[in-house]
Amino acid sequence: MHSRTIAVSSIMAAFLILAIVHPALAHFGAVIPSDDIVTQDDDKTLNVQVKFIHPMEGQYMEMVKPKQFGVQHNGKKTNLLDTLAPAKGKSPDQDQSFTFWTTDYQIRRPGDYTFYVEPAPYWEPAEDLFIVHYTKVCVNAFGMEEGWDQHVGLEMEVIPFTRPYGLWTGNLFTGQVLLKGKPVPFAEVEIEYLNETPGNINIVLPPADPYVTQVVKADVNGVFSYAMPKAGWWGFSALNEADWTLTHDGQEKGVEIGAVYWVWTRDMK
Amino acid sequence: MKHVNCLLAVLFVVLSATAPALAHRVNLFAYAGGGTIFTESYFPDGRPVEGGNVLVYDSTDKLLLEGVTDTEGFFNFEIPKIDALKIVIDATMGHKNSFTLKKGEVEAGK
Repeated sequence: MHSRTIAVSSIMAAFLILAIVHPALAHFGAVIPSDDIVTQDDDKTLNVQVKFIHPMEGQYMEMVKPKQFGVQHNGKKTNLLDTLAPAKGKSPDQDQSFTFWTTDYQIRRPGDYTFYVEPAPYWEPAEDLFIVHYTKVCVNAFGMEEGWDQHVGLEMEVIPFTRPYGLWTGNLFTGQVLLKGKPVPFAEVEIEYLNETPGNINIVLPPADPYVTQVVKADVNGVFSYAMPKAGWWGFSALNEADWTLTHDGQEKGVEIGAVYWVWTRDMK
Repeated sequence: MKHVNCLLAVLFVVLSATAPALAHRVNLFAYAGGGTIFTESYFPDGRPVEGGNVLVYDSTDKLLLEGVTDTEGFFNFEIPKIDALKIVIDATMGHKNSFTLKKGEVEAGK
């Protein structure tokens, strides 16, 4: 009995160690602006950061320059790829820094500005596949709430059904997952809180792996919802397998494509 | 009594007809360029404020000029003074908002 207890304890200890060493890390493309609602009293220059991260744990992954980066305003797209400059970032537990991308963008007119990124495919040896996360975020300017629900036309994208700014903590965010413009029935959507949210003084320490990444499934029309329990940035990542492949070391490899959308919530006080 | 009811009904219909504007805030946005100040006034959903009164004040709150927005919600005017300009949109039923162009922004748009 005693030895059995020890055996069970050992197994549990091993499991715990494994759990710590190999947490179920979800990858997220991220586009994080310095402000979500620009008013006439605000700085009209936004800093926009483009990253590939584990939002809850805070780890960065090396990101090469994206294939596409731009902003859609008033139905018109502007290519901002050449404005991106490399920067370095890391989580407190990472011993080296990784590349992310940053730009400053001047807001000149009222309306909604949807920033979008198509990253270069990221090779993930642990999953034996490439990852491409098409990522968007919307910034509102000067009280004209128009444009946030427009399609950008990416291979895969989330269309917000909830206006994606001016959200309180606890609000329900609803969106639709589209692949080549068509809804993805029962799409799996991963949701994470960005622990490095500016001003977040209470870092979230997940008590178990399932708390790191929330998972919801879309309905038959690709529509999903999630209520956000904390103030800060939240990432919604709908995942799908691409119908195309890429070559790695001479071998055809699958591609995980994702549509990621970021929203900011604020405590009601 | 019947007349009063009728009157109330008429009043309700009249008020309902203008309700969309009442339900929304109005906004004005302004920028300066090429010696002109461009303003546009709109509701949050993007619809223009037509026929709204625009009033332009300097930094001492002195009224410099006024005008009326066109069907697109625009009202443009020559830079009246190099100063911080407070531009007010005054739509119907007391729906008001303002936008302040900083002196530097006005100067840059000369």
